Amino acid sequence: MDSCSLVEKEIDKVLTKFSFVSDQTDRQLNELINYAEKLITDLAEAPEDEELSVAQSLMLTQYIKKAKDGSSKVAAEHRDLHGAVSKVGKAVDRNFTQDFGVVNKDGTFCGLDRPDLVNQVICQHFFRQGLLDIGETLIREAGVDIDVNSKEPFFEMNRILEALSKGDLQPALKWAQENRFKLRENHSSLEFKLHRLQFISLLHGGPQKQSEILQYARNFEPFAAQHEKDVQQLMGSLLYINTGIESSPYAYLLKPVQWADICDVYTRDACALLGLSVESPLTLSINAGCKALPALLNIKQVMQQRQCTDVWSNKDELPVEVNLGPEYRFHSIFACPILRQQSTDHNPPVRLICGHIISKEALFKLSNGNKVKCPYCPVEQSAADAKEVHF
Amino acid sequence: MSRVHTDLDELEKKLLDKPTTVGDVSRILTSVVDKLNAMKRKAAESIGDELDAARVTKRRTDHLREYDTKDQNLQTLWRKKRLDRILVEYFLRCGYYDTALKLAKHSRIEDLTNLDIFLVAKEVEESLSNHETAQCLAWCYDNKSKLRKLKSNLEFKLRQQEFIELVRKNKRLEAVGHARKYFVNLEDNQMFSVQKAMGLLAFPPETEVSSYKEMLDLSRWQLLVKEFRSENFKLYQLNNYSVFTVTLQAGLSSLKTPQCYHEDTKNADCPVCSQYLNDLASKLPFAHCSQSRLVCHMSGHPLNEHDHPMMLPNGYVYGENSLVKMATENSGKIMCPRTKQMFSLTDLEKVFVM
Repeated sequence: MDSCSLVEKEIDKVLTKFSFVSDQTDRQLNELINYAEKLITDLAEAPEDEELSVAQSLMLTQYIKKAKDGSSKVAAEHRDLHGAVSKVGKAVDRNFTQDFGVVNKDGTFCGLDRPDLVNQVICQHFFRQGLLDIGETLIREAGVDIDVNSKEPFFEMNRILEALSKGDLQPALKWAQENRFKLRENHSSLEFKLHRLQFISLLHGGPQKQSEILQYARNFEPFAAQHEKDVQQLMGSLLYINTGIESSPYAYLLKPVQWADICDVYTRDACALLGLSVESPLTLSINAGCKALPALLNIKQVMQQRQCTDVWSNKDELPVEVNLGPEYRFHSIFACPILRQQSTDHNPPVRLICGHIISKEALFKLSNGNKVKCPYCPVEQSAADAKEVHF
Repeated sequence: MSRVHTDLDELEKKLLDKPTTVGDVSRILTSVVDKLNAMKRKAAESIGDELDAARVTKRRTDHLREYDTKDQNLQTLWRKKRLDRILVEYFLRCGYYDTALKLAKHSRIEDLTNLDIFLVAKEVEESLSNHETAQCLAWCYDNKSKLRKLKSNLEFKLRQQEFIELVRKNKRLEAVGHARKYFVNLEDNQMFSVQKAMGLLAFPPETEVSSYKEMLDLSRWQLLVKEFRSENFKLYQLNNYSVFTVTLQAGLSSLKTPQCYHEDTKNADCPVCSQYLNDLASKLPFAHCSQSRLVCHMSGHPLNEHDHPMMLPNGYVYGENSLVKMATENSGKIMCPRTKQMFSLTDLEKVFVM
């Protein structure tokens, strides 16, 4: 943020200086113009062919000098401003990184099908967000060959989400009923929650709707076993329907946060069903990239300074660890504590009898004949007793 | 300003050589006033332009500063704007102008992007693709001083192409006239290409002779488009690649693990495991990790002292919490999700990862 403040300071200076100079210029030039016009009107009083009087020519000479000085001064002031402008440019250059192409690995995005893949990803990203028309425009302009069937689930999801945000639960209920079996497999309570929300919205109707509400409560029957406590609470709230639920202990049921919640639950369950991630992969990748770039640029700079640039291109791994935080952790990573290397297919992690895990290569290195002593505890075992683990 | 001075000089001269008439003086004075007005207008215009540019820059720094907040929601919204910004720039560079405009309008980020530069460039590029040099030459004229500072060859190349086109249409005399007009005051390397061009006069347009055939090739126009594009970027100090590709590469690389490429360890939430990105990231380097970090396959939560990693007899490791939960729902039985083997809760063994 300091870089921003520094640049902003320079910009503010430029803005004030420019406004100042602009006023000055206006004033000075106006002065000269007015004076000249006065002279013209004075001269106009005399007939055209008369010779100039000495006084007049004196005035004119004076005016000429004044005009020349004035206009040169204005031009000089304007030129001086460029100093301030170039300072802004320099501040930006100093505080922000201009060239980050060094991180670009050539050939990744070149090739025949590459741009197409990228465009497909972007298209899917737009469909997920519900920006259907922008996605369509991109398809048209980029000539993306997108499978029509893959669009359909997103369209449906967006339709249902739109209905949910307007308070209409019917499309979502229908979808949940159609996919009841799969949802149950995933331990999802979406259908129950939808019914619950519908029940609550009926509660708003007041005591007149009592019989309707009771009728609706029959829908809870398939879920009674799993959500017993919830059903009990909902039924209990009926007690207060005459006196007003807002003042009862059940007031929390009427809170609007339940609606925001249901959209979230629906998105998660729908995505899990389709085998998609909840968050758009493009968003995640770009956010991860923005986090990773400063570290990568730094290391590249250091490498260039020490002239060991081949470390990057030859290796199969990035030269530096980038800590993205727990929300970007999708896979288990095992790094052998002894050899400090990631496990691979040829070098899997193995569990010793005592429970400690090291890599297979480390096991070989530590073996003495057939005996292995765990590096962390004094338990001995034979090398064959170690068991391969899968995370 | 210089014009004002010339007028004033003229007035001075008139005064000096007598006799001067009032009429003459009035006339010159009127023109002085006109020139002063013009100067005022121009000054206001240029100052106005610079003030606008300064204001746009200020808006951008303000936007960047908005990130400095503790509010999670604001941060997420800011990141969304950032993604849209990056996408708009990518679209502009690829030439998908409609998409870029729509997205910029939707996210209200028009002044955070350089739309106008690219739209001007679009017109010039289209005219070049239609084998017309007029618009590009006009652009060169507008940016003459900056192009000269960059030591740009663009104008010369355009003139060369015009010459070639004249030869193609068999208007050789006109071509020679064109050459006489534009191919003067050249530097050495330019001289060489001019000589080749001159040689072209001797051949018919359908010639098969090697280097002259290439000169007549229409693909030279595409080279001109590329040259224009790179000069345009240099002028505005834009890079030749887009932020989008670089960031995407960095992101994919830092998320990429060997598990993303094994069928049974793919995770639907991981971006690199998703269909197209998987393909794209195949040539990128893996992420470097020096510390073990475990994630339970069943719940997706990290494994640590709150959720201990436990091994089933078949060697697969899961988090204790998920295993216990599965056992309670299944009367003490656990089914390994990946191998479908059945075990009981008592078969679990602890593992210790340093």
